[in-house]
Amino acid sequence: MIRDITIGQYYAADSVIHRLDPRLKLVVAVAYIVMLFLIEGPVAYATALAALAVVIALSRVPVKFMLRGIQSIFLLIVLTGIINIFTNKTGTVLWGQGWYAITSGGLLFAAHIVLRLMMLILTSSLLTLTTTPIRLTDGIEYLLAPFGRVGVPYHEIAMMMTIALRFIPTLLDETDKIMKAQQARGADFESGNLMQKAKSLVPVLVPLFLSAFRRAEELATAMEARCYRGGEFRTKMNRMVFERRDYIAVVVMVVFLALEVILCIIG
Amino acid sequence: MEEMIRAEHLSYEYVRTWEEESGSRQERIQALDDLSLSIEKGSFVAVLGHNGSGKSTFAKEINALLKPTGGVLYVRGMDTAQDELVWDIRQSAGMVFQNPDNQIVATIVEEDVAFGPENLGIPPEEIRRRVDAALETVGMTAFRYDTPSKLSGGQKQRVAIAGVLAMKPECIVLDEPTAMLDPMGRKDVIDTVKRLNREQGITIVLITHYMEETVDADRLIVIDDGKMVMDGTPREVFRQVEKVKSFGLDVPPATFLAWKLRKMGLSLPEDILTKEELVGALCRLKSNI
Repeated sequence: MIRDITIGQYYAADSVIHRLDPRLKLVVAVAYIVMLFLIEGPVAYATALAALAVVIALSRVPVKFMLRGIQSIFLLIVLTGIINIFTNKTGTVLWGQGWYAITSGGLLFAAHIVLRLMMLILTSSLLTLTTTPIRLTDGIEYLLAPFGRVGVPYHEIAMMMTIALRFIPTLLDETDKIMKAQQARGADFESGNLMQKAKSLVPVLVPLFLSAFRRAEELATAMEARCYRGGEFRTKMNRMVFERRDYIAVVVMVVFLALEVILCIIG
Repeated sequence: MEEMIRAEHLSYEYVRTWEEESGSRQERIQALDDLSLSIEKGSFVAVLGHNGSGKSTFAKEINALLKPTGGVLYVRGMDTAQDELVWDIRQSAGMVFQNPDNQIVATIVEEDVAFGPENLGIPPEEIRRRVDAALETVGMTAFRYDTPSKLSGGQKQRVAIAGVLAMKPECIVLDEPTAMLDPMGRKDVIDTVKRLNREQGITIVLITHYMEETVDADRLIVIDDGKMVMDGTPREVFRQVEKVKSFGLDVPPATFLAWKLRKMGLSLPEDILTKEELVGALCRLKSNI
């Protein structure tokens, strides 16, 4: 059951979006999210939503799969919407009075916020769904490199991400083994209230942590034995190369951003 | 004869501290004690010893992961105590560890094989060539894009060997590489190691406590309590059945059976190592009667 957890979800498919350079995808995703916070007016939003829909269609990731990402934070989105309905008191009162009055301005604002949140989550999950963790890490390392001069340990951040991703399945396996070993000796993880359930996990966590530390030490030794000495002097086997489709994507993105600016000015 | 490794009065001592009711206690442990030996380039040397005999410490000394507390150790003429030589030493003498899970760094097989050469700052095209060649040598080319966690123990260990191979070492030190593997995986790993020695002339130092893995070695060294207690070809070492047993080690099953039979009065040669040799000797004995 514990094996079903997939972190940094990647949806394997062969699409234009999958093949784009990870650095480009990262920059575009960030630019798009920033843009979402700056644009105003229904036309600009509709255009942004249409653009997102086109990219999702191009990515060949099933919409059902995409929406699963939203499911987990559905409650948060609904709650944000409700709070905004009641805290914004602009426009005409439609229902109720005093603190629980619902106004036209409040409804509009809440819808606005919810839409923006959903688009934000869809964009970021589209990024991880179409990029393998290793390419994503390479992209992050490359983009953070200029900040190395002001002390950002970009290589270390990327290495930590790689190792974390490498050990997630190993540690999940181990958790499963420990739980089974304890169940065989009569441990009960299923009954009781939340507090009791949490308590019953302590005997699982202690050996898990011990083994994780032991693994970390052995891994560090093995890395040293293979001449690892940080990011300095290091080369990469797979270099990221900008291809024709990446340049086309840059042009498309610039045109789209310009369009949004125009729509905001005239709208 | 060209020397790959030379140890002169090599010692390694560390202090173990532990807590007791009466307070913390300390004990000095002599993991290696005045070890002097020389390993020839291109040879296949097996190091046998029971747990805590110091054989793993010896492996880490060769890779400059530990520095001698006494004596000197030279790898290809380079003194392992000198800090500026550490990276050259680690490139010349690669190391494979016991637990396959704890030495694979990357999430993709070929990326992991590339880890060593990437650390050495080798140009990308050359890394690509080396990775392809290393995966081919260990027979893991078909799995190059797989996730290491989906491989079996023996396959993971072969990926680890490929990772060392891609650094173009002259010597590979394997510290109990088969201890956590099933019989099939063990055979695969040992066969790969033998092939590297035979076909590419790479010096192999195989540290193990499975005596059957040492049978094909050029030389067998037995370490006990930090000292080298036996040294010779596997035949020379294993014929001294009682002495080997006194260090808490076993001899190969065929050798043991021949020894028992000899004690019962059968005139069998002393240096039987394999089942086939035992069968041959017994048949000869029968036809002589």
